[in-house]
Amino acid sequence: MADYRLTAAPALGGYHRAFDGVTLREMPDLALVALALPRGGEAAATGAIEAAFGTALPESGHTALSSDGTERLLRLGPDQAFVLMTRSTPDAEAFIAARLGGAAYVTDQSDAFVALEISGPRSRAALERICPLDLHPKVFSVGDVARTVMEHLGVMVLRTGQDSFLLLSARSSARSFLHAVEVSIANTG
Amino acid sequence: MIIDHPLLGPRDACEFVYHGDASLIDRPDPAAIDAQERFHEYAYLRDNPAGEHRELWYHEYGDRSWLVVTRNTLTHEISKVELARDVALVRGRGA
Repeated sequence: MADYRLTAAPALGGYHRAFDGVTLREMPDLALVALALPRGGEAAATGAIEAAFGTALPESGHTALSSDGTERLLRLGPDQAFVLMTRSTPDAEAFIAARLGGAAYVTDQSDAFVALEISGPRSRAALERICPLDLHPKVFSVGDVARTVMEHLGVMVLRTGQDSFLLLSARSSARSFLHAVEVSIANTG
Repeated sequence: MIIDHPLLGPRDACEFVYHGDASLIDRPDPAAIDAQERFHEYAYLRDNPAGEHRELWYHEYGDRSWLVVTRNTLTHEISKVELARDVALVRGRGA
């Protein structure tokens, strides 16, 4: 049998572009692992998550950094949570599963997503044209997360700073999503 | 139109999919003697009220929750938004 060696490639080839007041770049080495709480085992799962990451699973719409600052827990809904971290090797699921001891279901979602970071003083204005969420910092503060729709594409939006957002969308439509964001930036004058 | 999600706060209706009358939660008992007639009513017969209407909305581009939204069909005014899960549990459905 042939000895295949597969090398992971970023969905957008490591895209990085500076616009006037906005920088848009692909974040290639992010890993995303979904957490699902077993029915009837919610308390055991949240306890195991808190023990593993040194922080409680946050409420819907919020995120929490692990005690060592290397992972971020994202809570999108009552039954929907993710672990987001920088990890370039394809072992994110095993890495998280080993720390939860089977108390929650884990699924590696890393290769299903493309991650774009939009930053700079005009980033919120650029997103306002395609994002139906209210991104005012009083409503959507640093560390908040939400899933929404932009140009018919599902997107998870995480506010990473006062003027920076991480956008996670489907890898299969990565170029269409990039185009939507680029056009929105260009339309913001 | 804005739907005030019980967990997530106000969200644009474009994130949701409309799934019709909330009476769909009350699925008839398939073992009942008149099950055939009840299922015919369940599947095909709907009230079409001019005024307050309880309906199912699915947060497809959000947290994927099902909501029961009480909406006035004449004014689009939304008077109540509940998690369909809570409504179903109160009615003895689901677990």
